[in-house]
Amino acid sequence: MNYKLNTTQNENKKQKAGASTALKKLYPFLQDEKWKLIFSTIAIILSSLLSLFAPIIVAHVIDTYILTKQFSGVIKFAYILLAMFAVGAGTNYVQTRLMGAVGQRVLFKLRNAIFNKLQALPVSFFNQNKSGDLISRINNDTDNLNQFFSQSLVQFIGNIFMMVGAGIFLLTLNIKLGAATLVPAVFLLVFTQLISPWVKSMNFVSLQALGNMSAEVQESIENFKVIVAFNRRGYFRQKFYEVNNTNYLTSVKAGLANNVFNPIYTFAANIGQLIVLTYGIYLVSIGQFSIGLLISFISYVSSFYNPLRQLANLWSNFQQALASWDRISEILAMSSNLKTIQDKTHAEQSEEKDKSLLEFKGVSFAYPDGQEVLHNINFKLKKGKTYAFVGPTGGGKSTTASLMARLYDPTKGEVLLNDRDIRSYKDGTRTSKIGFILQEPLLFNGSVAENIRYSNDKLVDFSDEQLEEELDSRGLKDLIARFDNGLKTTVFASGDGISLGQKQLIAFIRAVLRNPELLILDEATANIDTVTEKLLDEVLDQLPKDTTRVIIAHRLNTIENADEIFFVNAGEIVRAGSMTEAVDMLLHNNRNS
Amino acid sequence: MANTATESKGQNKKTSIFDLLKPYSKLLFALILLALLSNGINLFIPQIIAQGINEFTFHTLVFKNLLIEFFAAAFGILVFTYLQSIVQTYASERVGRDMRNQFADKISVESYRFVQKANPNKLLTNLTSDIDSVKVFVAQAVTSIISSVFVIIGASILLLVINWRLALAVLVIVPIIGAAFYFILGRMRPLFMKTRENIDWLNKIINESILGSAIIRVLNAQQPEYEKFLEANTVTMDLGFSILKVMAAFIPIISFTSNMAVLIILVLGGHFVINGSMSLGSLAAFNSYIAILIFPIMIIGFMSNVIARASAAYERIRQIMDAPSDKELGTSKKELLGNIKLTSVNVLYDGRPALKDISFEIFPKTKTAIIGPTAAGKSQILNLLTGLIKPDSGTVEYDDTDISEYDSETLHRQIGMVFQDSVMFNMSLRENIAFSDSVSDDSLHKAIETAELGDFIKTLPNGLNTIVSERGTSLSGGQKQRIMLARALALDPKILLLDDFTARVDTQTERKILKNVQDNYPNLTLISVTQKIAAVEHYDKIILLMEGEILATGTHEQLMQNSPEYVQIYNSQRSTSQYELQT
Repeated sequence: MNYKLNTTQNENKKQKAGASTALKKLYPFLQDEKWKLIFSTIAIILSSLLSLFAPIIVAHVIDTYILTKQFSGVIKFAYILLAMFAVGAGTNYVQTRLMGAVGQRVLFKLRNAIFNKLQALPVSFFNQNKSGDLISRINNDTDNLNQFFSQSLVQFIGNIFMMVGAGIFLLTLNIKLGAATLVPAVFLLVFTQLISPWVKSMNFVSLQALGNMSAEVQESIENFKVIVAFNRRGYFRQKFYEVNNTNYLTSVKAGLANNVFNPIYTFAANIGQLIVLTYGIYLVSIGQFSIGLLISFISYVSSFYNPLRQLANLWSNFQQALASWDRISEILAMSSNLKTIQDKTHAEQSEEKDKSLLEFKGVSFAYPDGQEVLHNINFKLKKGKTYAFVGPTGGGKSTTASLMARLYDPTKGEVLLNDRDIRSYKDGTRTSKIGFILQEPLLFNGSVAENIRYSNDKLVDFSDEQLEEELDSRGLKDLIARFDNGLKTTVFASGDGISLGQKQLIAFIRAVLRNPELLILDEATANIDTVTEKLLDEVLDQLPKDTTRVIIAHRLNTIENADEIFFVNAGEIVRAGSMTEAVDMLLHNNRNS
Repeated sequence: MANTATESKGQNKKTSIFDLLKPYSKLLFALILLALLSNGINLFIPQIIAQGINEFTFHTLVFKNLLIEFFAAAFGILVFTYLQSIVQTYASERVGRDMRNQFADKISVESYRFVQKANPNKLLTNLTSDIDSVKVFVAQAVTSIISSVFVIIGASILLLVINWRLALAVLVIVPIIGAAFYFILGRMRPLFMKTRENIDWLNKIINESILGSAIIRVLNAQQPEYEKFLEANTVTMDLGFSILKVMAAFIPIISFTSNMAVLIILVLGGHFVINGSMSLGSLAAFNSYIAILIFPIMIIGFMSNVIARASAAYERIRQIMDAPSDKELGTSKKELLGNIKLTSVNVLYDGRPALKDISFEIFPKTKTAIIGPTAAGKSQILNLLTGLIKPDSGTVEYDDTDISEYDSETLHRQIGMVFQDSVMFNMSLRENIAFSDSVSDDSLHKAIETAELGDFIKTLPNGLNTIVSERGTSLSGGQKQRIMLARALALDPKILLLDDFTARVDTQTERKILKNVQDNYPNLTLISVTQKIAAVEHYDKIILLMEGEILATGTHEQLMQNSPEYVQIYNSQRSTSQYELQT
């Protein structure tokens, strides 16, 4: 299943009329905000009305009261204006507050949605994408949307409303002159429609470059110790200059594209004024209009064109927001292929003795980039037995283990758990039955105790003391002594605070305490010294008798006590009869990895 | 450093963020010039209109001239505005790119510890969105503010010329808004600072979720992960609301104050016209100029958001840029002979001792093994030897010269280190191995053969040019380890440090590899941290490390005689050593 997100410029997807599709997809996030949006819009409309009427009132006062030297009239209208301005301040506050709040909440929900989506996708998704790019989408692209929502949108709506109001007003004043004034606006409309897709795609490419730069930085900083130890500093700088430069070039293009609207809109606004002036003078000269009205008309024209000019900037913000939304919706549109399905297998009533816990039936597996790693694997694992999987590196052992834990689905064949298709189990049930200790132990920032309790329904509410008791009852207490501060020792996910071996110990304890029916150990003790390993063996011995163990290891003493040994090589699994036979195969077989 | 600056609120921070513009003075000059030109012409348009109407009234209008003049003005504005936007884009992007390069330069010369302390998640935010905020500042705020100031000054002058009494009354609003602006800036900056820190936090959680994707699914831990994210996200939202409250209070103040100007003109100006000290035409002109005046004032208001954000971001960036350099200052470029000596070395980690009073000497071309239980401190010794960490006391010497005296590039060129945890880069296999630029093709191939990677590479359709995915997810543990070994060997090093190298490699391969190393790199001084005694029994020296202290050193035979702990380890492995000895 291809989970690779689009990070190159080779995107040939037809971009639909971005705005309407974007709005449709955004609607679920806006649903709860309906009333706030309505109130904001009302506030915005009120503000715009006030802005529109103020100059009209001023003109009226000038014509009616100042010309006739009636100061009392001026004062009266001054109070009216004051009241209007006060109301305007109020509506301004309301609209900023409400719309801004909508923006914040939408941003909040979007980020949660994307993160949740990431949790719902399988491991393949993370293998195919870079973490820096994902971080860029979750933090950066969502923020672009927020900027638009909380700041630009208010002005957007306000300006459109003012424009429409002013346009209607102009037309009613003098339909000929009004229409002539609006002509440049029509051109602008056409121009905008034509240019917008280009502007949006420039923004999209720029955001991609930012994501790629983010990925490069993330990788380098995370692996800094190798950069230092291998004199990679110069190379790191070089590579960074390259992605930085690409980012620079695409940003410049996007910037130029975004800035195309402003000068053109300003030009149109000025031409509009020119038209009014010249055509207006003409109309006056042929007696269809008066000078006084012309002067007023000219001042109202700016009520139309000023908001239009502001729209220029807002429109480019809008294109940026759309481009960001494309990147976000790409993730949201993905769905996991590891769904829970209906159980279609016919659970045969096999005898208790023969009942298998896990079975591979004709399983083949290939990674998305093509190579088939496992070919037609068949085996049965019985309850309570210990199985060892050995073989040269790269032969397919870990992949087999991953399929057992359903981190991937096979490309062919079936995996059966307790005679049922493993895909028919809910995630919670399956993960409680199958324990997996991975090769590279992954812990989270916190104490040792917190890491042990992680996602364990039974232990999650245990205090440190209760946890210690639990560990004691399982014979694990001595292992905690390996940590300087016992259960309270702080663990850092990265960095060298505790050794790799200690991390594996924690991973080990964590898995064992979940009481799985099947415990898979993928080289779980590779970095642990042999003395400690013996201790762990004793712990394993104390597991319930019907716990099935699958051990993948290179150390022969680890697999000494296995009931059955499987030899994994070049994607095929063969049973090895005895320990000696297994060793023989290991030491003498050809392998391709 | 940062805290004293916040006391002088707007003024000090403004100078420091404007500091970064100094190298770009030419571009900025061009930018300002263009902005002034376009805005200047814009200021004339009302004049042209007024003149046109006047001439028409007095029948002195030459239509063609009016048309040409106006059109020329409009066209001039178009050209200058467009040029301005080009220069603006170019300038802001240049600032962004240069800042990023400088930042990368800075961290690229620092020590590993510096980067760890600076917090990788924070560095990512620094390089991406912090610098973006500064860029936006340059792109929007700088020109807006300068044009706005110019327009305000220009319009104010025109107003003063028309009627200075009225003008003064109106211009009172300018300082009021200016004061409000500074006040708001002071309130918002710390909030924006916290927001950036929150983004760091979000980065960290997302990153952990990505790195731990397998374990999260195995433990069905999606919910706890989501809760972690929810917590950070909620704090971010709350901060956003706080900032919003400040902005929401500020914007109405600006618009109300600007509207007051209209009111003042109406009342006071009306009074002046009524009592004859001002003409109606002047009042009309006042009216039209006030519209021109108000717009830039509001722009400055909106820019406060951008400035506050950029200011906070810039401070964070300077924290790293101005941090004292931690880089190694050694200059010796001596070739290493392979003599290594540690004397009374102590290493503390987070206050607790990781290594206590470590002393040993290793001779050139010998093979040494460091054995010990988990958490003994074995990896820390190797970190010391590569210079990734410094001893808190005691000395680390190569050929009787302290490690800090060596030029770090020379040192790292001669020491090959294979880390315990696999580190793969999202680039071609060749680049992952021939990591250092001083690697020849011969060295590369010798390293590949030694690490037993030849067969594997043949199975890849693109061979050495195959791209390795981020974190090497398509490779097995053993393959990654062997690539890391090849990487170290490709340097043709004098000293090879192996950290638990054979943990993920099967016995047969291990055997072959160690023999290859012996054959192909005979002059190597080898130090191997390992668990398996069988593989290193014949080594020249074995060091037994436990809980940060050396318990015993000597040959295998010596240790079997003198060290009960060593014997215990040996016995725990004996049962299978017979298998391994078979061949």
